[in-house]
Amino acid sequence: MTEKNLKRVSYAVLTGPALLIYAFIIVFPILYSLYLGFSDWNGYGPIVPTGFQNYLKMFQDPVFLHGLRNNMLVVAVSVFGQIPLGFVLAYILYRKLVKGAKFFETMIFLPITISSVVVAILWSNIFGPAGAVTAILRLIRHDPRMVFTVFENRTWAIFPILFVILLIYTGLYMVIFLANLQKISPSVIEAAVIDGASEGQVLGRVILPAMLGVLFTTIVFAISGSLKSFDLIYAMTGGGPAHYTEVIAIYMYVKTFSGSHFGFGSAVSVFIVVLSLGMIGVVQAVFGRLEARYEG
Amino acid sequence: MRKTVFAAIIALLAVTCLAFAGGTPEPKAAAGGKVTLSMYAYNERTNPVEAPNWDYALGIFRATNPDVDLQIEFGFTEPYHDKMKIMVAANQIPDLMFLWPDKRTGYLTEKGLAKDLTPYVKGHEKEFVPGALAPQIAGGLWEIPEQVTDCHVVYTNTKLLKQLGLTYPKTFEEMVKQAPAILAKGLIPVAMDDKDGWQMQSCLLGALIERTGGKAWFDKAIKGKEGKFTDPEFVNALSVIETMAKNKMLSPGIVQADYGVAVTDFANEKAVYMIDGGWRVNALVGVVKPEQKKDIELNTFPDLAGMKGTPGSTSSVVGTGYGMSASLTGAKAEAAWKWIWFYAGPVDSAIRQGFGANPAYILPKRTDLDPLILKLIDFVNKTPGGYVVDSVLDADGMKVIQPAMQELILGSKTAQQVAAEFEKWVAANDSGRK
Repeated sequence: MTEKNLKRVSYAVLTGPALLIYAFIIVFPILYSLYLGFSDWNGYGPIVPTGFQNYLKMFQDPVFLHGLRNNMLVVAVSVFGQIPLGFVLAYILYRKLVKGAKFFETMIFLPITISSVVVAILWSNIFGPAGAVTAILRLIRHDPRMVFTVFENRTWAIFPILFVILLIYTGLYMVIFLANLQKISPSVIEAAVIDGASEGQVLGRVILPAMLGVLFTTIVFAISGSLKSFDLIYAMTGGGPAHYTEVIAIYMYVKTFSGSHFGFGSAVSVFIVVLSLGMIGVVQAVFGRLEARYEG
Repeated sequence: MRKTVFAAIIALLAVTCLAFAGGTPEPKAAAGGKVTLSMYAYNERTNPVEAPNWDYALGIFRATNPDVDLQIEFGFTEPYHDKMKIMVAANQIPDLMFLWPDKRTGYLTEKGLAKDLTPYVKGHEKEFVPGALAPQIAGGLWEIPEQVTDCHVVYTNTKLLKQLGLTYPKTFEEMVKQAPAILAKGLIPVAMDDKDGWQMQSCLLGALIERTGGKAWFDKAIKGKEGKFTDPEFVNALSVIETMAKNKMLSPGIVQADYGVAVTDFANEKAVYMIDGGWRVNALVGVVKPEQKKDIELNTFPDLAGMKGTPGSTSSVVGTGYGMSASLTGAKAEAAWKWIWFYAGPVDSAIRQGFGANPAYILPKRTDLDPLILKLIDFVNKTPGGYVVDSVLDADGMKVIQPAMQELILGSKTAQQVAAEFEKWVAANDSGRK
């Protein structure tokens, strides 16, 4: 065997298992979901093709559209809330603009180490009609029927959940940013300061350009994570009351497993993948331009 | 060269396939004749009363049947069914599972995935209350009922009523008129929790339909012949719920309240009435103080104006119970039957009766039981029952009516709108209309 052939065999043997596993657990389920999405399969019996019926039905369902709206709000909170806040916190700690940096680092990161289901139950109890805060408010206001009615409003019901999402996941982004900030050579920043750069100029001209790559990665994480967000919301409200806090992943789960509409659920899952890829594509294009601008 | 690469990939594939082909070994008869069975059990593991009661019975089964090893996984309410449906879709049915006699677990029983237990129970028919072993959905006997379940009971705190100078209302109008006096004392008129949605459907709507239309109308509406869910019978039933919500009769934040909030309020004497299923006696026995028990009455919903159905009725189903996978044969089927018979037969029925259940298995009359259990037995024996909605309509439809009723409570939909939405779904999808 020639060296070239030996290399080819080595590549095949070394990458083969990983490729096979990837194909089994990622490629095959997506392709199979795509196939099932064009059928009305109920989990049992023959798979009968129905064309685009599932997709048409999905976009005519007000519950799905409300779930999509809620998902977009989760994306917005993740991209425009968690990431900027995580970055600001990381920057404050990195530049030592506050005392006790280690303490704050631990405290901010702590929520992410707790199971999201535990956090959801905790907050559900806080906001719920039998919760401690409700009980205290009832005592203060002398109103035994007082409850948080925000969950009973179709428009605003998702907002307490957005608050919890912001609170929990910001710490993760802070740690990612902090780790990457620490890679920037202090001498570069010192040189900028010696040259008379203000704090804002250091941030805008030195640090942000160096962080573009990681910003892109975190936004991709935030978008994909938001579109498949399920556990925290499901454990906190189950998507209710009356679908007010439903997101499309819960919609997919309920349709697929409670209703045994595997074909329809597959169509929703395909939509989530397409939407996720589409949004990431847009972010990629924006960052491509930004990179070109900084490099130029 | 290509051949070499191809051979290497094939070899790799073969090794991978062999590695994955092993899978998890099927539970089977182990050494010493012990049979291992997987069981998907229905029990609220966080309930401080029901979980230990279940464990107590399980301990007795294990002690008396050392040859049967039960590998148990628990589920409760909607998540139980969600997971079971996944098991059905994946063709991984547990050996033993908790089943409903009707459409609630029709996704499994109607597909022939549970074994018909008629031959097993032969000779024991007279040991059960009449109708308990009647053919279930699709004609088989898929589970042996643990009890006859009344899904609607108006638990009443007579002490609070007396303090307020009130008596149990004969009509719904009277009940509505009581609300301001109850609210003025800072109490809840009717405690209910409906975060999951099934409580309002299962514990109240069925009983209301039995009053407004009765079984005769309900049968017509199910078939869509001479009856529809837009008929006054159904709209009037929904209007009762709408009126209760408008008059602040229901628990505050009812659509946010987890199952258990209402029973806590009732046990703490913060509510005059509580609407729940008969099974709630099981929890009440453990949580209310002994002196409170004499002050708790079990009633049915007051009469409605212009009702066509049965006065004083509840909604009931021949109970749930354990069944076995249709695939079981030989020693595994025998071992599975040991559990089913233990649970629904004389041994566990007596245990459960002591904890607050009213078993379908006929037991010698006892007077030494908890007063609440005696009240439940009396209630079940004397109260006529109508349909429970989710036992006669497809489970999918509950995903329509339950959130719609939550909107009715929140005031964002009217009774007519909810009825129209439900009728539209039933007409297009329910198996009763096909």
